Amino acid sequence: MITVEFTLNGEERRIEADPCVTLLEALREGLHLTGAKEGCGIGECGACTVLFDGEPVVSCLVLVGDAAGRAVTTVEGLAADGALDEVQRAFVATGALQCGFCTPAMVLTVEALLGAGGPPTREAAVEALGGVLCRCGTYPKVLAVIDTLSGGAA
Amino acid sequence: MKRLRTFAYFEPASVAEAAETLAAHGGAARPLAGGTDLVVDMKLGRDRPGAVVNLKRIAGLDHIAPQDGGLRIGALCRIRDIERSGAVARRHRALSMAARVLGPPGVRALATIGGNIGRASPASDMAPPLIVHGATITIEGSGGRRCTEAADLCRGPGVTSLAGDEIITSVYLPAPPVRSGTAHLKIGKRGGGTDIAIVGVAAGLVLDEEGTIAEARIVLASVGATPIRAAQAEEMLRSARPTGEAFAAAGAAAAAGTNPIDDVRASAAYRRAVTRVLVARALHDALGAIGGAPS
Repeated sequence: MITVEFTLNGEERRIEADPCVTLLEALREGLHLTGAKEGCGIGECGACTVLFDGEPVVSCLVLVGDAAGRAVTTVEGLAADGALDEVQRAFVATGALQCGFCTPAMVLTVEALLGAGGPPTREAAVEALGGVLCRCGTYPKVLAVIDTLSGGAA
Repeated sequence: MKRLRTFAYFEPASVAEAAETLAAHGGAARPLAGGTDLVVDMKLGRDRPGAVVNLKRIAGLDHIAPQDGGLRIGALCRIRDIERSGAVARRHRALSMAARVLGPPGVRALATIGGNIGRASPASDMAPPLIVHGATITIEGSGGRRCTEAADLCRGPGVTSLAGDEIITSVYLPAPPVRSGTAHLKIGKRGGGTDIAIVGVAAGLVLDEEGTIAEARIVLASVGATPIRAAQAEEMLRSARPTGEAFAAAGAAAAAGTNPIDDVRASAAYRRAVTRVLVARALHDALGAIGGAPS
């Protein structure tokens, strides 16, 4: 077992973990944060996306030990006291989800894109959403969310 | 859920400690950088290491810094940082372009340049640009430090010239020649090419004062057992005028010199056809980059 110290959704955490598990496994099974999903398990679909210091990473390829020292954000960290944040409210208002499986990853990707300093260009938005495979085809709606939240500049 | 078989896990604090740990486990140990190749292989059962040596606690291996007119990039430097580096984009454009399409954003945030070339995939996105840029690779192990040309690192699919206890610690990109330009193009199944290359091309041109080609470099990924130089195409271009016709002929010669395979991503015939097109385009793109602006 190893000790991993990191910030999770704004809170300092110190966990004991088996070093042979991925961050995705640790989040879902150890910490019961099931927003991040296993789609492909090999980093191609993005359903496991979490943020490391504000940047999307595929948590299925991160060994839990590599969360050390990071500020990790999962979708569960967005709603303060149960109130959806601006991005989440825009997803709801726009109807930018269907089955919802990729939605945590999409929401975090949009958070990261808007948090990077914007407004993002259309090209940057499309490139960012390329990190999450959505078989339902919600991309036009998610792009509309980005457009709305960046003041229509995209 | 895809799970990893149990392994012994190490976080060495120095290169020396890493080398010692790798040596202690013989062929059963693997160095871990970004994990975007190793962890995938482990999940798919393609690799079953008894020990994983996480290199990321070793300080100082992730910097991009000017050196002797060129640029030194630490082996643990992430692809995302290379892609965002103005210093790389300005004078080592092929590497910058390749970084942008290495994989989806969530992979590029984890993957490292050392891991990519250390993996020695024939589809490597970093190797062809490094070869075009004339890069040297610094390698360290218990036997000390040594340098090798980028072109000499990959010996076959998954095989490098590294000894069992050696790791790549940095790459050095020399100052580019005057009147030179480089480019990287790639095709993959995914839009934007951000997955494993079906064909990858890095190209570089150096012009003389009259605007004739003094030197051409064309390096191809995914059409042979290692990244390959299209030597015949390069030779054809030497002393030629940089015209569309010359580039088209170079593309054809490059394609003829490949030895691609049929695999799940594409047929050999497709790869040959695409090589011909991408080489011509990459040469054109490299020409456009001479004397000026990064893309």
